[in-house]
Amino acid sequence: MPVTLEDIKKLPRFEELKNRVIQRLGEADSLEALNDLRIEFLGKKGQIADLMKQMKFVPKEEKRDYGQVVNEIKARAIEMFEERKAELEAKALEEKLASETIDLTLPGRKPAHGNLNPLNLIEQELEDLFIGLGYQVIEGDEVVEDLYCFERANIPKDHPARDMQDSLYLDPEHLLRTHTTAIQMKVLEQEAPNPIKVVCPGKVYRRDDDDATHSHQFMQMEGLVIGEQVPLSDLKGTLEFFARKMFGEEREIRFRPSFFPFTEPSVEVDVSCHMCGGKGCPTCKGTGWIEILGAGEVNPKVLEMAGYDSTKMNGFAFGIGIERVAMLKYGIDDIRHFYTNDERFNELFDRMD
Amino acid sequence: MKISEKWLKQYMDLGDLSMEEVAKAVTDAGFEVEEVIPMSQGSNLVIGEVLTCKDHPNSDHLHVTTVNLGDEVVQIVCGAPNVAAGQKVIVSKPGAKLPGGEIKAGVIRGEASNGMICSLAELGVDKHALSEEQLAGIEVLPDDAPVGYDNPRKYLGLDDTVLDVSLTPNRADCQAAWNMAAETAAILKKDYKLPDYEGASDAGNDVDTRLVIHSETEGCPHFYGKVINSVTIKPSVPWMKELLRASGMHAINNVVDISNIVMLETGQPMHFYDINALPAQEITVKDGLKCEYTALDGVTYPLRPEDLVITTEGKPIGIAGIMGGDDSKIEETTTGIIIECASFDHVSIRNTARRLNLNTESSIRYQKGIEPLAAKKAIDRAVQLLIEYADAKGIEKTVEFGSAHFEARTITTTLSDLNNRLGTEFSLEEVVDVFDRLNLEPVVEGETITVTVPSSRTDLENMADLSEEVIRMIGYDRLPSTLPVMEMTEGKLNPQQRQRRFIRTLLTENGVRDAVTYTLISTAKKEDAILSVGESLELPVPLSEERRYLRTSILPSLLESAAWNIARGNKNINLFEISELTSKSGVVEHLAIVLTGALNETKWLKDVTPADFYTLKGLIEALLERQGIGENRLYFKPNQKDTTHFHPGRSAEVYIGKDLIGLMGEIHPSYGAKIGVKHAVIAELDLDKVLKTKKSKVKFTPVSKYPSVVRDLAVVVAKDLPASKIIDVIKRAGKLDKESVVRKVDVFDVYEGEHVGENEKSIALTMTLQSDKQTLNEEKINTVFNAIIDAVIKQCHATLRSA
Repeated sequence: MPVTLEDIKKLPRFEELKNRVIQRLGEADSLEALNDLRIEFLGKKGQIADLMKQMKFVPKEEKRDYGQVVNEIKARAIEMFEERKAELEAKALEEKLASETIDLTLPGRKPAHGNLNPLNLIEQELEDLFIGLGYQVIEGDEVVEDLYCFERANIPKDHPARDMQDSLYLDPEHLLRTHTTAIQMKVLEQEAPNPIKVVCPGKVYRRDDDDATHSHQFMQMEGLVIGEQVPLSDLKGTLEFFARKMFGEEREIRFRPSFFPFTEPSVEVDVSCHMCGGKGCPTCKGTGWIEILGAGEVNPKVLEMAGYDSTKMNGFAFGIGIERVAMLKYGIDDIRHFYTNDERFNELFDRMD
Repeated sequence: MKISEKWLKQYMDLGDLSMEEVAKAVTDAGFEVEEVIPMSQGSNLVIGEVLTCKDHPNSDHLHVTTVNLGDEVVQIVCGAPNVAAGQKVIVSKPGAKLPGGEIKAGVIRGEASNGMICSLAELGVDKHALSEEQLAGIEVLPDDAPVGYDNPRKYLGLDDTVLDVSLTPNRADCQAAWNMAAETAAILKKDYKLPDYEGASDAGNDVDTRLVIHSETEGCPHFYGKVINSVTIKPSVPWMKELLRASGMHAINNVVDISNIVMLETGQPMHFYDINALPAQEITVKDGLKCEYTALDGVTYPLRPEDLVITTEGKPIGIAGIMGGDDSKIEETTTGIIIECASFDHVSIRNTARRLNLNTESSIRYQKGIEPLAAKKAIDRAVQLLIEYADAKGIEKTVEFGSAHFEARTITTTLSDLNNRLGTEFSLEEVVDVFDRLNLEPVVEGETITVTVPSSRTDLENMADLSEEVIRMIGYDRLPSTLPVMEMTEGKLNPQQRQRRFIRTLLTENGVRDAVTYTLISTAKKEDAILSVGESLELPVPLSEERRYLRTSILPSLLESAAWNIARGNKNINLFEISELTSKSGVVEHLAIVLTGALNETKWLKDVTPADFYTLKGLIEALLERQGIGENRLYFKPNQKDTTHFHPGRSAEVYIGKDLIGLMGEIHPSYGAKIGVKHAVIAELDLDKVLKTKKSKVKFTPVSKYPSVVRDLAVVVAKDLPASKIIDVIKRAGKLDKESVVRKVDVFDVYEGEHVGENEKSIALTMTLQSDKQTLNEEKINTVFNAIIDAVIKQCHATLRSA
């Protein structure tokens, strides 16, 4: 019996197949079910393959058309399968991701961290500040000759500091330096008659009983600039720069006359209070000013002793107490904290400032 | 030093200036006024007379008084035990403001009280200046006190204000009130006039004297003596009493007070002896004595040969410059005096005063230094005052031993030198005015200014000193702000400073905290030095037993910090310190590390970097490798140097090549228990050696074009075989056509226990093989890998771990 293509298409089998595919695809709710369905319809022994096998019963002249129809059906079926697959995959992924939700509030895995001791922190800050201005950082030995600690600094032999009872002498000629001026005096001797621009940080030692405001060991940083024409006003400009970098751009400084054997004129330097801006508060004891360091124009006698011609070269020196800066900057009330290394104190410096 | 408003006003007219303004001006010029102290305070005061005084009906200690205030009679309730009818008293009327608050009229236990009868303490008078009696009750005025007078503070001479001035060491001359007054006048631009006293001690110079004075010591180069045969002892006149009180001294009698007034005025201490106590009329200053001496204060002091002593007939009569003796002091019965006015070596006085812990007005002045001509000023002024206020008669010739060495110095400078030193543009007039005010007698000739320095200003030596006078007198507010103009310089850290910063960064970024501990340590810590840099330096005069030696190793100090924390329950204490160490052999910089707890920990993830040997080792390796000291140059050898402080089986000597650079490992439990740090890994490293080690440079090598392959190997070896041995063997055996193809070897498991022999361990390693010349195919890989296995089996006595 001759069968036309139209007849074939109308065959209930074809129609049924199409509907069944649609229905079953809708029912397949997992990728596994979908795969089973695929094998059922599109596998080698699947229903569409069966249709292909009917080819042999199709009249020769209609084989081509028949093949085309079946292939169309197959292509359409594959397409529907792929669509359904994509749908199911998306759904599966969504479910998987939903199931992978984590507790965002649990603590993160923070990298390890320690902290710099605030003394070293301030020292580095100061070093970097002056390096930016072209200063070199020079250090020296802690055990120094009396010559460099005192004699060259114009501190006379009968000065109380040069007594065994006051300074920490190891023998009549050697002691633990009482100030970083000892480094400067050596630098002066080494560099004479050339210009100098250095800062000299280091530990210094005095015969003091340790309490909240005194420490037998503390840290200083001294600055020294020597050139052909470096007047006292250059000291003021330089320290203004320092004060603003360290305590804020609005800071002012003022000089008060003072006395140090190695400088002349000598000044105490006050910075306008960084806590109250100069209005007066407990930190500045109501004065609006905080005494921060001692400085002055290097005494010509000191220059001459080191080998300079004091009529040709001059310059300034200043000495900063690292503890004092740290205590002011962070409001620390007891100098012993710096040397106790208590974890509860250290933790305060876990962050940048 | 202390100087009062009344004192200054003796010499100058302060005009409308308040003492606060004076204080600010002198502070700005270099004389820091630490405190402005009113001698007394209180307004609305009046002198009254107690008319009646009865016990308060409702109190067991209060009194009800009626007091005549001149223009009225009021009732006042008074609690003072010493109040009585007939007394002249100080009354603060309602509305009076006293240091303790405002006085108000009121009713006290049913009795009206219209004011308060005052004690001096209630008027704010320094309690130290008051007697027990004065502190216990109201002040009772003399019978002739004028009732109704409305300024009782003035009546008492307590209407004064004192400036407490802190002097810098170069201005000890201003211990003398006269010098301070002259300075103040110069600062305030005021004229001043000091008493005219010069030559007063010439009195009696035509009268011969028996007095012999002598000094047998260099400690007393100059000495005046003078006999005054007759004086009248009586109370001092009010102005003297007031000045003494303003200076914090008590009035005693006119003669003693004169010696003190002269000391305050001139800065020169002097001593008056009762003439009858020195019958030989001989005074000799000596040292070299060794005896006990009872001074004016009744205390017996042991004198040593280095002390300067005043003697007569070989017996001490005073500790020179510090305190006289009880038996020669001026008393009511004194009829004549011998004056001693001497210069003493300030160092000697300082040493004696300090040893005897005896700081007197006199010793403080000698220690700070006294101007060379003060002795002459003092004896002149003393004779003048003794004649005027103590009826001095029978005055004999002044005797002098030695002489005052003083030659006025001149300093020549120019305006431009001064301005160049300061960075200012002061005019000649301004500068000359400053020198004028300071009595430097400036002379201007063309460009030059020449000044002559008075004896009180020995601190002025050169142009720099003059520049300071100029700027402090004109004012620092006139100093411009400039920056140095110099050739460009490179600001930089040196290699050691860079290394230090690198290490600090690396360790702090890995959970170790930067510590600073003290250089000076106890004997016990000295004995516990780890990797000591040499023999310890000892302070001949230690601060304390805790601070006796310079440390030669950091660890004992750092461990003390760890122990401090542990004792306080602080957790995870991990510290390091970089410090220079000084010993008899020189200076070396060390790094010490102490790890006692997790360096990093996320507990709920069980993610921990523990404080163990391998963490510490890894830190040290990173610290060196990242500076360019490759692992092929690093050796961790069993510790045979120090097994007292370290666990003998869990510590290592650290080498770079053949150089021992440190010791590291677990703390020895016995040492740990002793110092309170039970569990820790510790290290002490020589950073100077690290610094001196030649570092390899970063150098580009082409990235291999050929793929790498990974092979794992698990072997069983003797338990004590170091893993490094297997790794070495693998590296050496892993060659293909003479090219080393083992790029990396990692240990990924070490196992001891079940399935492994008792004295054995299993080690699993993973290695990366790669050639720069060829692709490693399966065959070539097998060739290399088999060679590696053979070598490991043979050289490490290993057996392959069956899978």
